[in-house]
Amino acid sequence: MEPNDRDTTSVSVRDRLWKAWLPGVAAVGALAAVVAGSLRLRPTPKAAPPRPQPAGTPAGPGGQAATPAQPVRSLERTYSQSAGLGGTASPDRFLQSLTGIAIGPADVICVLGDDEIRVFDPRGNRLRSWQAPAHAGCLAVGPDGRVYVGSPDRIDAYDGGGTHVTGFTAGEKDKPADVTAIAVVGTDILVADASARIIRRYGPDGRPRGLIGNQNKTGGFILPNRSLDVGVDARGVVYATDTGRHQVTAWALDGSPLGRFGKFGMTAPEDFVGCCNPVNVALTPDGKVVTGEKMVARVKVYDPDGRLLAVIGPEHFDPSTTHIHLAVDSRGRILAADPVRREVKIFSLNQTLQERERP
Amino acid sequence: MSENSTRRQFIEGSCRVLGFVTIGGAAGLLTQRASANAVYQVDPFKCTSCDLCRTSCVLSHSAVKAVNDFEKCGYCMLCPAYMDVLSKPDEKGIPTGKVCPQDALKRRVVGKVDADDPNNNYYEYVVDEARCDGCGKCVKACMAPAGNASLRLEIRYSRCVECNECAIQIVCPDRAIVRVAAPGMAPAAPVR
Repeated sequence: MEPNDRDTTSVSVRDRLWKAWLPGVAAVGALAAVVAGSLRLRPTPKAAPPRPQPAGTPAGPGGQAATPAQPVRSLERTYSQSAGLGGTASPDRFLQSLTGIAIGPADVICVLGDDEIRVFDPRGNRLRSWQAPAHAGCLAVGPDGRVYVGSPDRIDAYDGGGTHVTGFTAGEKDKPADVTAIAVVGTDILVADASARIIRRYGPDGRPRGLIGNQNKTGGFILPNRSLDVGVDARGVVYATDTGRHQVTAWALDGSPLGRFGKFGMTAPEDFVGCCNPVNVALTPDGKVVTGEKMVARVKVYDPDGRLLAVIGPEHFDPSTTHIHLAVDSRGRILAADPVRREVKIFSLNQTLQERERP
Repeated sequence: MSENSTRRQFIEGSCRVLGFVTIGGAAGLLTQRASANAVYQVDPFKCTSCDLCRTSCVLSHSAVKAVNDFEKCGYCMLCPAYMDVLSKPDEKGIPTGKVCPQDALKRRVVGKVDADDPNNNYYEYVVDEARCDGCGKCVKACMAPAGNASLRLEIRYSRCVECNECAIQIVCPDRAIVRVAAPGMAPAAPVR
Protein backbone atom coordinates (compact mmCIF):
# COMPACT_ATOMS: atom_id res chain seq x y z
CA MET A 1 0.00 0.00 0.00
CA GLU A 2 2.59 2.53 1.06
CA PRO A 3 4.97 2.17 -1.93
CA ASN A 4 2.02 2.33 -4.32
CA ASP A 5 0.68 5.42 -2.63
CA ARG A 6 4.12 7.04 -2.78
CA ASP A 7 4.42 6.20 -6.49
CA THR A 8 1.02 7.68 -7.22
CA THR A 9 1.94 10.89 -5.38
CA SER A 10 5.31 11.26 -7.13
CA VAL A 11 3.70 10.70 -10.52
CA SER A 12 1.04 13.33 -9.88
CA VAL A 13 3.66 15.89 -8.82
CA ARG A 14 5.78 15.23 -11.89
CA ASP A 15 2.65 15.51 -14.07
CA ARG A 16 1.76 18.79 -12.44
CA LEU A 17 5.27 20.11 -13.11
CA TRP A 18 5.28 19.08 -16.73
CA LYS A 19 1.75 20.07 -17.46
CA ALA A 20 1.58 23.38 -15.57
CA TRP A 21 4.92 24.90 -14.53
CA LEU A 22 7.32 23.96 -17.25
CA PRO A 23 5.13 25.16 -20.16
CA GLY A 24 4.62 28.41 -18.24
CA VAL A 25 8.36 28.87 -17.73
CA ALA A 26 8.95 28.03 -21.39
CA ALA A 27 6.38 30.62 -22.46
CA VAL A 28 7.99 33.33 -20.31
CA GLY A 29 11.43 32.39 -21.69
CA ALA A 30 10.17 32.60 -25.27
CA LEU A 31 8.57 35.98 -24.60
CA ALA A 32 11.81 37.25 -23.06
CA ALA A 33 13.77 36.02 -26.07
CA VAL A 34 11.39 37.79 -28.45
CA VAL A 35 11.61 41.06 -26.46
CA ALA A 36 15.38 40.83 -26.26
CA GLY A 37 15.59 40.14 -29.99
CA SER A 38 13.39 43.08 -30.86
CA LEU A 39 15.45 45.31 -28.62
CA ARG A 40 18.64 44.13 -30.22
CA LEU A 41 17.22 44.95 -33.64
CA ARG A 42 16.90 48.64 -32.71
CA PRO A 43 20.21 50.46 -33.08
CA THR A 44 21.36 52.11 -29.85
CA PRO A 45 21.83 55.84 -30.39
CA LYS A 46 25.37 56.79 -29.58
CA ALA A 47 26.08 59.98 -27.69
CA ALA A 48 28.04 62.49 -29.73
CA PRO A 49 31.59 62.86 -28.43
CA PRO A 50 32.15 66.15 -26.59
CA ARG A 51 33.77 68.86 -28.65
CA PRO A 52 37.14 70.06 -27.44
CA GLN A 53 36.94 73.39 -25.63
CA PRO A 54 39.75 75.89 -25.26
CA ALA A 55 40.80 76.78 -21.76
CA GLY A 56 38.35 79.11 -20.11
CA THR A 57 35.60 78.71 -22.72
CA PRO A 58 32.42 79.91 -21.06
CA ALA A 59 29.48 77.62 -20.42
CA GLY A 60 26.04 78.72 -21.47
CA PRO A 61 22.90 78.77 -19.35
CA GLY A 62 22.30 75.32 -17.94
CA GLY A 63 25.98 74.49 -18.09
CA GLN A 64 26.25 73.60 -21.77
CA ALA A 65 29.51 74.72 -23.28
CA ALA A 66 29.45 77.34 -25.96
CA THR A 67 30.65 76.15 -29.36
CA PRO A 68 34.09 77.57 -30.00
CA ALA A 69 34.16 79.90 -32.98
CA GLN A 70 37.88 79.50 -33.47
CA PRO A 71 40.09 76.43 -33.39
CA VAL A 72 42.02 75.68 -30.24
CA ARG A 73 45.49 77.13 -30.49
CA SER A 74 48.50 77.21 -28.25
CA LEU A 75 48.93 80.31 -26.16
CA GLU A 76 52.32 81.85 -25.78
CA ARG A 77 52.64 81.39 -22.03
CA THR A 78 51.51 78.85 -19.47
CA TYR A 79 51.19 79.39 -15.75
CA SER A 80 50.73 76.95 -12.92
CA GLN A 81 49.94 77.43 -9.28
CA SER A 82 53.12 77.45 -7.26
CA ALA A 83 51.93 78.58 -3.83
CA GLY A 84 48.98 79.93 -1.92
CA LEU A 85 48.05 82.10 1.02
CA GLY A 86 45.16 81.94 3.45
CA GLY A 87 43.67 78.62 2.32
CA THR A 88 41.42 76.62 4.61
CA ALA A 89 44.36 74.66 6.05
CA SER A 90 46.48 77.76 6.62
CA PRO A 91 46.80 79.32 10.10
CA ASP A 92 46.53 82.68 8.28
CA ARG A 93 43.22 81.83 6.67
CA PHE A 94 40.68 84.60 6.22
CA LEU A 95 37.47 83.86 8.06
CA GLN A 96 35.16 86.63 6.88
CA SER A 97 36.50 88.60 3.96
CA LEU A 98 39.33 89.09 1.48
CA THR A 99 39.02 92.29 -0.46
CA GLY A 100 42.42 93.39 -1.72
CA ILE A 101 46.01 92.46 -2.45
CA ALA A 102 49.13 94.46 -3.33
CA ILE A 103 52.87 93.95 -3.67
CA GLY A 104 55.36 96.16 -1.86
CA PRO A 105 59.12 96.68 -2.01
CA ALA A 106 61.16 93.45 -1.74
CA ASP A 107 58.04 91.61 -2.91
CA VAL A 108 56.27 91.72 0.43
CA ILE A 109 52.63 90.76 0.01
CA CYS A 110 49.98 92.98 1.60
CA VAL A 111 46.51 91.52 1.90
CA LEU A 112 43.34 93.24 3.09
CA GLY A 113 40.87 90.90 4.77
CA ASP A 114 39.02 90.23 8.01
CA ASP A 115 39.26 93.99 8.76
CA GLU A 116 43.06 93.70 8.91
CA ILE A 117 46.03 94.49 6.75
CA ARG A 118 48.32 91.48 6.83
CA VAL A 119 51.87 91.61 5.52
CA PHE A 120 53.59 88.43 4.33
CA ASP A 121 57.09 87.78 3.04
CA PRO A 122 57.42 86.42 -0.54
CA ARG A 123 57.38 82.86 0.83
CA GLY A 124 54.04 83.45 2.53
CA ASN A 125 55.16 83.80 6.16
CA ARG A 126 53.21 86.43 8.03
CA LEU A 127 55.37 89.35 9.14
CA ARG A 128 52.87 91.64 10.82
CA SER A 129 49.28 92.83 10.71
CA TRP A 130 47.21 95.76 11.93
CA GLN A 131 43.63 96.93 12.09
CA ALA A 132 42.19 98.32 8.84
CA PRO A 133 39.87 101.33 8.78
CA ALA A 134 36.14 100.64 8.83
CA HIS A 135 34.67 99.43 5.52
CA ALA A 136 38.11 99.29 3.85
CA GLY A 137 37.80 97.74 0.39
CA CYS A 138 41.12 98.08 -1.43
CA LEU A 139 44.80 98.79 -0.91
CA ALA A 140 48.05 99.66 -2.68
CA VAL A 141 51.68 99.92 -1.67
CA GLY A 142 53.94 102.78 -2.74
CA PRO A 143 57.60 102.52 -3.74
CA ASP A 144 58.54 103.84 -0.29
CA GLY A 145 56.63 101.00 1.39
CA ARG A 146 53.68 103.13 2.46
CA VAL A 147 50.43 101.18 2.48
CA TYR A 148 47.40 103.08 1.16
CA VAL A 149 44.00 101.75 2.18
CA GLY A 150 40.77 102.83 0.48
CA SER A 151 37.43 103.08 2.27
CA PRO A 152 34.25 104.18 0.44
CA ASP A 153 35.17 107.89 0.39
CA ARG A 154 38.56 108.03 2.11
CA ILE A 155 42.22 107.11 1.70
CA ASP A 156 44.42 106.31 4.69
CA ALA A 157 48.19 105.85 4.53
CA TYR A 158 50.30 103.73 6.90
CA ASP A 159 54.03 103.23 7.09
CA GLY A 160 55.41 99.73 6.62
CA GLY A 161 55.06 99.04 10.33
CA GLY A 162 51.37 99.85 10.41
CA THR A 163 51.49 103.33 11.94
CA HIS A 164 48.90 105.71 10.51
CA VAL A 165 50.74 108.47 8.64
CA THR A 166 48.12 110.50 6.85
CA GLY A 167 44.68 110.37 5.31
CA PHE A 168 42.34 112.40 3.15
CA THR A 169 38.79 112.40 1.86
CA ALA A 170 38.38 111.46 -1.79
CA GLY A 171 35.82 113.03 -4.07
CA GLU A 172 34.10 116.37 -3.97
CA LYS A 173 32.00 118.00 -1.27
CA ASP A 174 28.67 117.20 -2.86
CA LYS A 175 29.95 114.10 -4.68
CA PRO A 176 31.70 111.72 -2.29
CA ALA A 177 33.84 109.15 -4.09
CA ASP A 178 33.16 105.44 -4.15
CA VAL A 179 36.76 104.20 -3.94
CA THR A 180 37.13 100.76 -5.51
CA ALA A 181 40.88 100.69 -6.27
CA ILE A 182 44.12 102.59 -5.61
CA ALA A 183 47.43 102.71 -7.47
CA VAL A 184 50.61 104.61 -6.67
CA VAL A 185 52.93 106.08 -9.28
CA GLY A 186 55.87 108.14 -8.02
CA THR A 187 54.37 110.56 -5.53
CA ASP A 188 50.91 110.42 -7.10
CA ILE A 189 48.05 108.44 -5.65
CA LEU A 190 45.49 107.31 -8.22
CA VAL A 191 42.05 106.66 -6.80
CA ALA A 192 39.41 104.81 -8.84
CA ASP A 193 36.07 106.49 -8.15
CA ALA A 194 33.26 104.23 -9.36
CA SER A 195 30.65 106.79 -8.39
CA ALA A 196 32.00 109.52 -10.70
CA ARG A 197 33.29 106.83 -13.15
CA ILE A 198 36.76 108.41 -13.28
CA ILE A 199 40.22 108.06 -11.75
CA ARG A 200 41.18 110.86 -9.38
CA ARG A 201 44.84 111.80 -9.11
CA TYR A 202 46.06 113.12 -5.76
CA GLY A 203 49.39 114.29 -4.32
CA PRO A 204 50.79 112.72 -1.15
CA ASP A 205 49.08 115.45 0.89
CA GLY A 206 45.70 114.64 -0.60
CA ARG A 207 45.55 117.64 -2.94
CA PRO A 208 43.82 116.90 -6.29
CA ARG A 209 46.20 116.89 -9.25
CA GLY A 210 43.86 115.93 -12.06
CA LEU A 211 41.44 113.43 -13.50
CA ILE A 212 41.95 110.41 -15.72
CA GLY A 213 39.30 108.75 -17.86
CA ASN A 214 37.05 111.71 -18.52
CA GLN A 215 38.50 112.51 -21.94
CA ASN A 216 36.11 110.37 -23.92
CA LYS A 217 32.62 110.65 -25.38
CA THR A 218 30.85 109.70 -22.18
CA GLY A 219 33.05 111.74 -19.84
CA GLY A 220 33.98 108.63 -17.89
CA PHE A 221 34.02 104.88 -17.83
CA ILE A 222 30.89 102.76 -18.35
CA LEU A 223 30.53 100.72 -15.17
CA PRO A 224 27.35 98.64 -14.99
CA ASN A 225 28.79 96.63 -12.08
CA ARG A 226 29.84 99.80 -10.20
CA SER A 227 33.45 98.71 -10.00
CA LEU A 228 36.57 100.30 -11.45
CA ASP A 229 40.11 98.94 -11.15
CA VAL A 230 43.37 100.67 -11.94
CA GLY A 231 47.02 99.63 -12.36
CA VAL A 232 50.24 101.33 -13.43
CA ASP A 233 53.09 99.80 -15.44
CA ALA A 234 56.82 100.44 -14.96
CA ARG A 235 56.75 103.32 -17.49
CA GLY A 236 53.95 105.11 -15.63
CA VAL A 237 51.18 104.24 -18.10
CA VAL A 238 47.86 103.98 -16.28
CA TYR A 239 45.61 101.01 -17.15
CA ALA A 240 41.95 100.92 -16.12
CA THR A 241 39.04 98.56 -16.63
CA ASP A 242 36.13 99.84 -18.71
CA THR A 243 33.77 97.01 -17.90
CA GLY A 244 30.69 98.17 -19.80
CA ARG A 245 32.71 98.53 -22.98
CA HIS A 246 34.53 95.22 -22.31
CA GLN A 247 37.88 96.94 -22.64
CA VAL A 248 41.16 97.65 -20.91
CA THR A 249 42.06 101.30 -21.40
CA ALA A 250 45.49 102.96 -21.22
CA TRP A 251 46.04 106.58 -20.15
CA ALA A 252 48.91 108.98 -19.58
CA LEU A 253 49.20 110.55 -16.15
CA ASP A 254 47.93 113.87 -17.52
CA GLY A 255 44.67 112.14 -18.50
CA SER A 256 45.21 111.86 -22.23
CA PRO A 257 44.07 108.54 -23.72
CA LEU A 258 46.81 106.24 -25.04
CA GLY A 259 44.85 103.27 -26.30
CA ARG A 260 42.44 100.49 -25.51
CA PHE A 261 41.87 96.85 -26.34
CA GLY A 262 39.21 94.19 -25.85
CA LYS A 263 35.68 93.45 -26.97
CA PHE A 264 32.66 91.41 -25.94
CA GLY A 265 32.56 87.77 -27.00
CA MET A 266 31.41 84.50 -25.51
CA THR A 267 33.53 82.09 -27.53
CA ALA A 268 37.00 83.37 -28.35
CA PRO A 269 39.19 83.26 -25.21
CA GLU A 270 40.70 86.68 -25.91
CA ASP A 271 37.25 88.32 -25.66
CA PHE A 272 35.54 89.38 -22.46
CA VAL A 273 32.31 87.62 -21.51
CA GLY A 274 29.06 88.72 -19.90
CA CYS A 275 27.64 92.14 -19.16
CA CYS A 276 30.73 93.78 -17.75
CA ASN A 277 34.30 92.58 -17.85
CA PRO A 278 37.23 92.65 -17.13
CA VAL A 279 36.68 93.51 -13.49
CA ASN A 280 40.31 93.62 -12.36
CA VAL A 281 43.65 94.58 -13.85
CA ALA A 282 47.34 94.42 -12.88
CA LEU A 283 50.66 94.89 -14.69
CA THR A 284 53.68 92.61 -14.85
CA PRO A 285 57.22 94.06 -14.54
CA ASP A 286 57.75 93.49 -18.29
CA GLY A 287 54.62 95.48 -19.19
CA LYS A 288 52.12 92.67 -19.77
CA VAL A 289 48.51 93.30 -18.79
CA VAL A 290 46.85 90.82 -16.41
CA THR A 291 43.04 90.84 -16.25
CA GLY A 292 40.53 89.19 -13.95
CA GLU A 293 37.05 88.26 -15.15
CA LYS A 294 33.76 87.30 -13.53
CA MET A 295 30.96 85.06 -14.86
CA VAL A 296 33.72 82.87 -16.23
CA ALA A 297 36.14 83.37 -13.35
CA ARG A 298 39.52 83.44 -15.05
CA VAL A 299 42.72 85.42 -15.27
CA LYS A 300 44.27 86.31 -18.62
CA VAL A 301 47.57 87.82 -19.65
CA TYR A 302 47.81 90.14 -22.68
CA ASP A 303 50.58 92.10 -24.28
CA PRO A 304 49.95 95.89 -24.29
CA ASP A 305 48.47 95.63 -27.79
CA GLY A 306 45.81 93.22 -26.62
CA ARG A 307 47.27 89.95 -27.92
CA LEU A 308 46.31 87.12 -25.59
CA LEU A 309 49.33 85.36 -24.11
CA ALA A 310 47.97 83.14 -21.35
CA VAL A 311 44.79 82.01 -19.63
CA ILE A 312 44.58 80.81 -16.04
CA GLY A 313 41.33 78.89 -16.17
CA PRO A 314 38.16 78.93 -14.09
CA GLU A 315 39.08 75.68 -12.33
CA HIS A 316 41.20 77.76 -9.95
CA PHE A 317 38.46 80.11 -8.77
CA ASP A 318 34.99 80.05 -7.30
CA PRO A 319 32.45 80.28 -10.14
CA SER A 320 30.29 82.75 -8.21
CA THR A 321 33.03 85.28 -7.59
CA THR A 322 32.47 88.79 -8.94
CA HIS A 323 36.12 89.83 -8.54
CA ILE A 324 39.58 88.35 -8.75
CA HIS A 325 41.90 90.85 -7.08
CA LEU A 326 45.30 90.82 -8.76
CA ALA A 327 48.90 91.75 -8.05
CA VAL A 328 52.18 90.83 -9.73
CA ASP A 329 55.55 90.64 -7.97
CA SER A 330 58.99 91.51 -9.37
CA ARG A 331 59.54 87.89 -10.50
CA GLY A 332 56.38 87.99 -12.60
CA ARG A 333 54.37 85.76 -10.28
CA ILE A 334 50.65 86.51 -10.49
CA LEU A 335 48.85 86.70 -7.15
CA ALA A 336 45.11 86.21 -7.51
CA ALA A 337 42.82 86.73 -4.51
CA ASP A 338 39.45 84.98 -4.69
CA PRO A 339 37.09 86.81 -2.31
CA VAL A 340 34.55 83.97 -2.23
CA ARG A 341 36.97 81.22 -1.29
CA ARG A 342 38.99 83.79 0.69
CA GLU A 343 42.34 82.53 -0.52
CA VAL A 344 45.24 83.86 -2.56
CA LYS A 345 46.69 81.69 -5.30
CA ILE A 346 50.16 82.39 -6.63
CA PHE A 347 50.83 81.45 -10.25
CA SER A 348 54.30 81.17 -11.74
CA LEU A 349 55.25 81.28 -15.39
CA ASN A 350 56.05 77.77 -16.62
CA GLN A 351 57.17 78.10 -20.18
CA THR A 352 56.86 80.34 -23.16
CA LEU A 353 55.79 78.98 -26.53
CA GLN A 354 59.36 79.28 -27.84
CA GLU A 355 60.63 77.21 -24.93
CA ARG A 356 57.94 74.59 -25.48
CA GLU A 357 58.68 74.30 -29.19
CA ARG A 358 62.45 74.14 -28.72
CA PRO A 359 63.65 70.59 -29.54
CA MET B 1 -23.53 75.42 53.35
CA SER B 2 -24.02 73.18 50.37
CA GLU B 3 -26.30 75.85 48.74
CA ASN B 4 -23.53 78.48 49.13
CA SER B 5 -20.95 76.14 47.67
CA THR B 6 -23.14 75.42 44.65
CA ARG B 7 -23.67 79.13 43.98
CA ARG B 8 -19.93 79.79 44.19
CA GLN B 9 -19.24 76.89 41.84
CA PHE B 10 -21.87 78.28 39.44
CA ILE B 11 -20.28 81.75 39.47
CA GLU B 12 -16.78 80.32 39.02
CA GLY B 13 -17.93 78.14 36.14
CA SER B 14 -19.71 81.06 34.48
CA CYS B 15 -16.60 83.23 34.75
CA ARG B 16 -14.44 80.46 33.30
CA VAL B 17 -16.78 80.00 30.32
CA LEU B 18 -16.95 83.75 29.76
CA GLY B 19 -13.15 83.94 29.89
CA PHE B 20 -12.74 81.14 27.36
CA VAL B 21 -15.28 82.73 25.02
CA THR B 22 -13.56 86.14 25.26
CA ILE B 23 -10.07 84.73 24.62
CA GLY B 24 -11.29 82.49 21.78
CA GLY B 25 -13.18 85.34 20.14
CA ALA B 26 -10.24 87.68 20.37
CA ALA B 27 -7.91 85.06 18.93
CA GLY B 28 -10.32 84.37 16.07
CA LEU B 29 -10.68 88.06 15.34
CA LEU B 30 -6.91 88.60 15.33
CA THR B 31 -6.35 85.57 13.06
CA GLN B 32 -9.01 86.81 10.66
CA ARG B 33 -7.50 90.28 10.61
CA ALA B 34 -3.98 88.92 10.15
CA SER B 35 -4.97 86.68 7.25
CA ALA B 36 -6.86 89.53 5.64
CA ASN B 37 -3.68 91.65 5.69
CA ALA B 38 -1.37 88.86 4.51
CA VAL B 39 -0.71 88.00 0.90
CA TYR B 40 1.35 85.48 -1.01
CA GLN B 41 4.67 86.76 -2.31
CA VAL B 42 7.88 85.38 -3.81
CA ASP B 43 10.94 85.39 -1.56
CA PRO B 44 13.70 86.46 -4.00
CA PHE B 45 16.41 84.97 -1.79
CA LYS B 46 14.86 81.50 -2.03
CA CYS B 47 13.53 81.61 -5.60
CA THR B 48 15.55 79.76 -8.23
CA SER B 49 13.34 80.74 -11.21
CA CYS B 50 12.40 77.11 -11.87
CA ASP B 51 9.53 78.01 -14.26
CA LEU B 52 6.80 76.47 -12.04
CA CYS B 53 5.29 79.92 -11.39
CA ARG B 54 4.39 80.06 -15.05
CA THR B 55 2.82 76.62 -15.22
CA SER B 56 1.27 76.18 -11.76
CA CYS B 57 -0.73 79.38 -11.23
CA VAL B 58 -4.49 78.84 -11.49
CA LEU B 59 -4.68 81.76 -13.90
CA SER B 60 -4.11 81.05 -17.57
CA HIS B 61 -1.58 83.92 -17.61
CA SER B 62 0.33 83.66 -14.33
CA ALA B 63 0.00 86.32 -11.63
CA VAL B 64 3.77 86.12 -11.19
CA LYS B 65 5.71 88.72 -13.17
CA ALA B 66 9.35 89.69 -13.52
CA VAL B 67 10.23 93.03 -11.93
CA ASN B 68 13.37 95.09 -12.45
CA ASP B 69 14.90 96.85 -9.46
CA PHE B 70 16.29 100.01 -11.03
CA GLU B 71 18.49 100.75 -8.01
CA LYS B 72 20.44 97.56 -8.68
CA CYS B 73 20.28 97.50 -12.48
CA GLY B 74 23.52 98.27 -14.30
CA TYR B 75 21.72 99.66 -17.39
CA CYS B 76 24.06 97.44 -19.41
CA MET B 77 24.36 97.60 -23.15
CA LEU B 78 25.00 93.86 -23.17
CA CYS B 79 22.33 92.82 -20.70
CA PRO B 80 22.48 89.03 -20.21
CA ALA B 81 18.80 89.03 -19.21
CA TYR B 82 17.75 90.81 -22.38
CA MET B 83 19.93 89.22 -25.03
CA ASP B 84 20.97 85.62 -25.33
CA VAL B 85 24.71 86.13 -25.07
CA LEU B 86 25.38 82.78 -26.73
CA SER B 87 23.27 83.54 -29.80
CA LYS B 88 24.73 84.47 -33.17
CA PRO B 89 26.34 87.94 -33.07
CA ASP B 90 25.61 90.60 -35.69
CA GLU B 91 28.29 92.49 -37.65
CA LYS B 92 29.01 94.66 -34.58
CA GLY B 93 29.50 91.58 -32.41
CA ILE B 94 26.25 92.08 -30.49
CA PRO B 95 24.17 88.91 -29.90
CA THR B 96 20.98 88.84 -31.93
CA GLY B 97 18.88 86.40 -29.87
CA LYS B 98 16.69 87.38 -26.93
CA VAL B 99 16.30 85.57 -23.63
CA CYS B 100 12.58 86.21 -23.11
CA PRO B 101 10.41 83.86 -25.20
CA GLN B 102 7.52 86.34 -24.86
CA ASP B 103 9.66 89.36 -25.76
CA ALA B 104 8.39 90.96 -22.55
CA LEU B 105 11.63 92.71 -21.56
CA LYS B 106 11.84 96.03 -23.37
CA ARG B 107 14.72 98.48 -23.41
CA ARG B 108 15.31 102.09 -24.34
CA VAL B 109 18.36 104.29 -24.33
CA VAL B 110 18.52 106.73 -21.43
CA GLY B 111 20.70 109.77 -20.93
CA LYS B 112 22.96 111.14 -23.64
CA VAL B 113 22.58 109.04 -26.77
CA ASP B 114 25.51 108.05 -28.95
CA ALA B 115 24.03 106.81 -32.20
CA ASP B 116 27.40 105.69 -33.58
CA ASP B 117 28.57 103.43 -30.78
CA PRO B 118 25.97 101.54 -28.71
CA ASN B 119 28.70 100.76 -26.17
CA ASN B 120 28.58 104.41 -25.08
CA ASN B 121 24.92 104.23 -24.08
CA TYR B 122 22.99 103.23 -20.98
CA TYR B 123 19.78 101.24 -21.40
CA GLU B 124 16.75 101.07 -19.18
CA TYR B 125 14.99 97.70 -19.03
CA VAL B 126 11.27 97.53 -18.29
CA VAL B 127 9.07 94.43 -18.09
CA ASP B 128 5.93 94.48 -20.22
CA GLU B 129 3.64 92.76 -17.73
CA ALA B 130 0.94 92.07 -20.30
CA ARG B 131 3.40 89.78 -22.07
CA CYS B 132 5.40 88.42 -19.11
CA ASP B 133 4.27 84.96 -18.03
CA GLY B 134 6.61 84.62 -15.05
CA CYS B 135 8.90 81.99 -16.55
CA GLY B 136 11.89 83.60 -14.81
CA LYS B 137 14.38 83.11 -17.66
CA CYS B 138 15.48 86.76 -17.40
CA VAL B 139 15.75 86.52 -13.62
CA LYS B 140 18.01 83.50 -13.92
CA ALA B 141 20.17 85.17 -16.56
CA CYS B 142 20.59 88.32 -14.43
CA MET B 143 21.78 86.43 -11.36
CA ALA B 144 25.29 87.15 -10.08
CA PRO B 145 27.99 86.79 -11.17
CA ALA B 146 26.65 87.20 -14.74
CA GLY B 147 24.53 90.22 -13.86
CA ASN B 148 23.65 92.49 -10.94
CA ALA B 149 20.64 90.35 -9.89
CA SER B 150 18.34 93.32 -10.37
CA LEU B 151 15.48 91.23 -11.79
CA ARG B 152 13.23 89.18 -9.54
CA LEU B 153 9.85 87.47 -9.71
CA GLU B 154 6.94 89.02 -7.87
CA ILE B 155 3.25 88.12 -7.45
CA ARG B 156 1.22 91.03 -8.73
CA TYR B 157 -1.66 91.67 -6.35
CA SER B 158 -3.69 93.23 -9.11
CA ARG B 159 -3.84 89.81 -10.80
CA CYS B 160 -3.59 87.36 -7.87
CA VAL B 161 -6.99 85.86 -7.00
CA GLU B 162 -5.89 84.96 -3.43
CA CYS B 163 -6.64 81.26 -3.58
CA ASN B 164 -7.31 79.60 -0.25
CA GLU B 165 -4.02 77.79 -0.77
CA CYS B 166 -1.71 79.15 -3.46
CA ALA B 167 -1.26 76.56 -6.21
CA ILE B 168 2.32 77.68 -6.79
CA GLN B 169 3.14 77.45 -3.09
CA ILE B 170 2.09 73.80 -3.09
CA VAL B 171 4.54 72.83 -5.84
CA CYS B 172 7.37 75.32 -5.24
CA PRO B 173 10.48 73.19 -4.62
CA ASP B 174 12.33 76.07 -2.96
CA ARG B 175 9.49 77.06 -0.56
CA ALA B 176 9.88 80.53 -2.04
CA ILE B 177 6.18 81.47 -1.89
CA VAL B 178 5.63 82.98 1.53
CA ARG B 179 2.91 84.91 3.37
CA VAL B 180 3.85 88.51 3.94
CA ALA B 181 2.11 91.61 5.20
CA ALA B 182 0.02 93.12 2.39
CA PRO B 183 1.11 96.05 0.15
CA GLY B 184 4.68 96.77 -0.95
CA MET B 185 4.42 96.76 -4.70
CA ALA B 186 7.58 96.92 -6.83
CA PRO B 187 8.87 100.41 -7.49
CA ALA B 188 7.72 101.94 -10.73
CA ALA B 189 10.17 102.88 -13.47
CA PRO B 190 12.06 106.02 -12.50
CA VAL B 191 11.27 109.18 -14.42
CA ARG B 192 14.35 110.52 -16.19
